Amino acid sequence: MMSEAETAFSIRGLDLWYGKSQALKSVTADLPARSVTALIGPSGCGKSTFLRTLNRMNDLVGGVRIEGSVLYDGVDVLSPSTDVIDLRKRVGMVFQKPNPFPMSLYDNIAYGPRVHGVKDKARLDDVVESSLVRAALFDEVKDRLHESALGLSGGQQQRLCIARVLAVEPEVVLMDEPTSALDPISTAKIEALLDELKRDYTIVIVTHNMQQAGRVSDRTAFFLLGELVEYAATKELFFNPADERTENYISGRFG
Amino acid sequence: MRNQLNEELDRLRHDILAMGSLVEESLRKALHALRTGDVALAKEVRAGDAEINALQLGIEDQAAMLIATQQPVAGDLRELVTVFKVTDNLERIGDHAAHLAKTARRLADDPYPLPLDRLERMAAAGVAMVHDAVEAYLRRDEALAREAAARDDEIDAEHKAFLREVLAYLAGRPDKAEQATKLIATSSFLERLGDHVTNLCEAVVFMLTGEHAELND
Repeated sequence: MMSEAETAFSIRGLDLWYGKSQALKSVTADLPARSVTALIGPSGCGKSTFLRTLNRMNDLVGGVRIEGSVLYDGVDVLSPSTDVIDLRKRVGMVFQKPNPFPMSLYDNIAYGPRVHGVKDKARLDDVVESSLVRAALFDEVKDRLHESALGLSGGQQQRLCIARVLAVEPEVVLMDEPTSALDPISTAKIEALLDELKRDYTIVIVTHNMQQAGRVSDRTAFFLLGELVEYAATKELFFNPADERTENYISGRFG
Repeated sequence: MRNQLNEELDRLRHDILAMGSLVEESLRKALHALRTGDVALAKEVRAGDAEINALQLGIEDQAAMLIATQQPVAGDLRELVTVFKVTDNLERIGDHAAHLAKTARRLADDPYPLPLDRLERMAAAGVAMVHDAVEAYLRRDEALAREAAARDDEIDAEHKAFLREVLAYLAGRPDKAEQATKLIATSSFLERLGDHVTNLCEAVVFMLTGEHAELND
């Protein structure tokens, strides 16, 4: 495991094209381990593309060409020889819309461990409970673990998805606008959860909600037109940004 | 974009200009009253103080409302935080103008036999400093803020010299102890006035740069 101040991801000169259009332009950054990094910027700025590069989700998109390097804990993420299944186990992902599988809560969470070969009932019970506890959902659902996950509220579903990611014991959790479909109370619960999770996990979160970036993250990266314009401690970026484009964007004077 | 926030910020700046102008005017009146013994003018300063205080509360309520409803960040947030320091210090400067006016009223009945040039120079420097400090805020002029704060040294030097003169006079005229004490207090208020302008200038530098500058060393 990596130590406290260590770098989780080391990204150097990352270029990415979708066909002829360049979505990331020479992005260089170090993302610290066990902290929350927020990615902000207007639609189409490259932040989600950048996030998906971190666990090779862009592999699923046709016509993508990538140059530069992304190292995770010494592993060359972009190398064709990298075991993508193993990478995605270590670097999990939570999406914008909660996407529980149409099965029970228990089976949703046990799904990953089962795929990775865990069959022992007692061990699966443990994983399900501890994952739900870590996702701050256990107390709300402990009496209905064998009911359909689709009966949960949106906010509960999203926490279930987080629990499902945690069940495969990742080191990193990538989140792509995880609260944009949730009400303020559910959003507050997820945000509080992030604060807990960052003790053990590296979190990278894309958000359109600037106040959320300010509240939950330790560092913030501002993307514009594929360029990483500014990347700094969140309190610095929101109080005294170095780049005028950052100031204009975060203060809502953009465009 | 952010037209509403821009308009509200402009309105705040306008109100701060109004408050600064009133404080400056109070100081000028108090200074003039001190020079001429014009008691009516000195009374006007007191009346003006209520108006200054009312403006302060209005500006601060408006700034708090903008923080609550507009979620300002970066330069906007620094400005809104700075507004509280600007109004707070302007209000205190206004109080010192009222103190000076009170001294002017008292001296009209019982004139001090020596010239009050130093007090007048302190008050005049204070007027210029307040003017420049508010100007620096409105024009977002860091250099001007630093210049205005630097003039505090003039006030401090006059204050020290004035204390020595009054104490020397008092040695020969112990019967004038009460009057001398009031003059020393007035000089101390003017010295504090300079400190408040310095604070105001530091707040302006913070607003513009995000740095906590120490302008009074």
